[in-house]
Amino acid sequence: MSTTALRQTLTLCFPSDLGYIPAMRKFVADVLTAHNFSSRYIYRSEIIVDEVCHNAVMYGSKSIEAEIVLIMHLTEDTVEFFVQDEGGSARDVQQLKSAVEKPRLETMSPGDGKIGLEIVKMFAEELDFAVGEDNLTSVRIVRKRDISEAK
Amino acid sequence: MESQIELEIEEIKGYSTARLVKFVGDLDATNVEFVLEKVVNLQNEGFVNIVADFKKLRYVNSTGLGVLLHFNKAAKEKSGSFKIANVNENVYEIIEIIGATSLLEIYDDLTEAIDSLAV
Amino acid sequence: MATNVQFALSDSSGCEGVTVVTISGELTSASIDEITAFFSSIVEDHPPYIIAEMSNVSSFSSSALGSFMGSRQRFVEREGDLVFAGLTLDLKSKLSLLGAHKIFQVFPDVRSALVAYTYEKKGHSQMVTLSFPSQLRYVPSIRQMISRIALQKGYSSRDAFRIETIVDEVCNNAVEHGAQSSEHNIDLSVGIDSKKIEIKVINLSNPEKIEALKELASTVSSEAVSDMANKRGRGLALIKMLSNDLTIDISNGGTSVHVVRRKGD
Repeated sequence: MSTTALRQTLTLCFPSDLGYIPAMRKFVADVLTAHNFSSRYIYRSEIIVDEVCHNAVMYGSKSIEAEIVLIMHLTEDTVEFFVQDEGGSARDVQQLKSAVEKPRLETMSPGDGKIGLEIVKMFAEELDFAVGEDNLTSVRIVRKRDISEAK
Repeated sequence: MESQIELEIEEIKGYSTARLVKFVGDLDATNVEFVLEKVVNLQNEGFVNIVADFKKLRYVNSTGLGVLLHFNKAAKEKSGSFKIANVNENVYEIIEIIGATSLLEIYDDLTEAIDSLAV
Repeated sequence: MATNVQFALSDSSGCEGVTVVTISGELTSASIDEITAFFSSIVEDHPPYIIAEMSNVSSFSSSALGSFMGSRQRFVEREGDLVFAGLTLDLKSKLSLLGAHKIFQVFPDVRSALVAYTYEKKGHSQMVTLSFPSQLRYVPSIRQMISRIALQKGYSSRDAFRIETIVDEVCNNAVEHGAQSSEHNIDLSVGIDSKKIEIKVINLSNPEKIEALKELASTVSSEAVSDMANKRGRGLALIKMLSNDLTIDISNGGTSVHVVRRKGD
């Protein structure tokens, strides 16, 4: 095993289609398992990837050729995810931006909109939204391994 | 293209209007319609009391939770019930986060859930 | 009797063969004639694959469903179909009780329906790419991911297993015999369509192994019996046996392995 500090990047690109999301989130779970993250950490990461990718499909580009890019930067105790898509309408992009940047709800009820994103906020140490050139939208999530998490 | 889920449906002795539904796999946006069809059909066939065993349900996302809440609502409209047992801690945490623990009938184990049918 | 149902032809995003119809209002027994009349008016002059966008439909009776079934049949006869998109959960639930799911495909939105149409009817390929560090620990996750995708795209479990084996062997080779570099990842691309899957792996070549690999590649390419005691030979031979086409390019710059496997072979 390498004695150098772990710092690795995986970049996954897949069609913007809900049907691909299960395979992608399970891939993320399997990669984190291979890196000995706890089952709780893995489950929460899976939920995050699921919910953020779901939003990217539903509110991103409507082109049938649209793709989603999922990037994982791994270190010993942190995973940084980027979920990027080509961006939907100006309205959709603005709504998503607002939903991400709004403070996390202290209590939720199932009738609240964008429940998935609130769950992500609960689990993420950092959550950012950016819109770049050509309407490329990017959601960044950072999760730190909790020292108390035992596998 | 769907995530794998199976539903195993069994009778519950002594309760003619109830069915035990064992969820096996992951419940997410890609298979909610399959699950919706199965459970709604049961409810409409007169099995208005559903006991859902989540022992082998590994994963639920917000879309899956939405369907569970739908079953709960549909059951109440038919004067029935939708009870859930054996929820793993990860799934329970998601239910708790969205504030659904007070809306769904959740039991620690299957026996408790089935016994509550008598109430 | 006046109904409040409305039909509007929408943009099909330039997808040839598809007509998108946005429907709103209440689909009741009172609207049966309107439903039939509308679809009759478009059956001759419009592409026969109809996506009915239903997010603004508030109710859907069994008799209205019957009207849709009759209309669908006309499109099917013209090698088309009639599918639903955007139904609310309540309506999906209701249609499920009516057995509609056995006849009509239902999609979350128009876009999903278009994507499915181009994949299934137009033979479009969908692409998944992955760039990963050159480490064996990632290979199980990768092969399982590709296997899941194949299964869910309608490949048999036997096919999916063979695909998993191909991905495993190709990725293992890239890790074990490619250059070990923290700056260069291995690039995997998988193109899948309704007839075949194409797997390509590109990695940085290991200068010390290039000649041996070229010799091995030529052995496999020439269909000569490979030395099955040679671990490297076994892997490539296995890939070749499981695939319909195998191409290996090795140069100082990089190694590329391209595999094609036809569905059901």
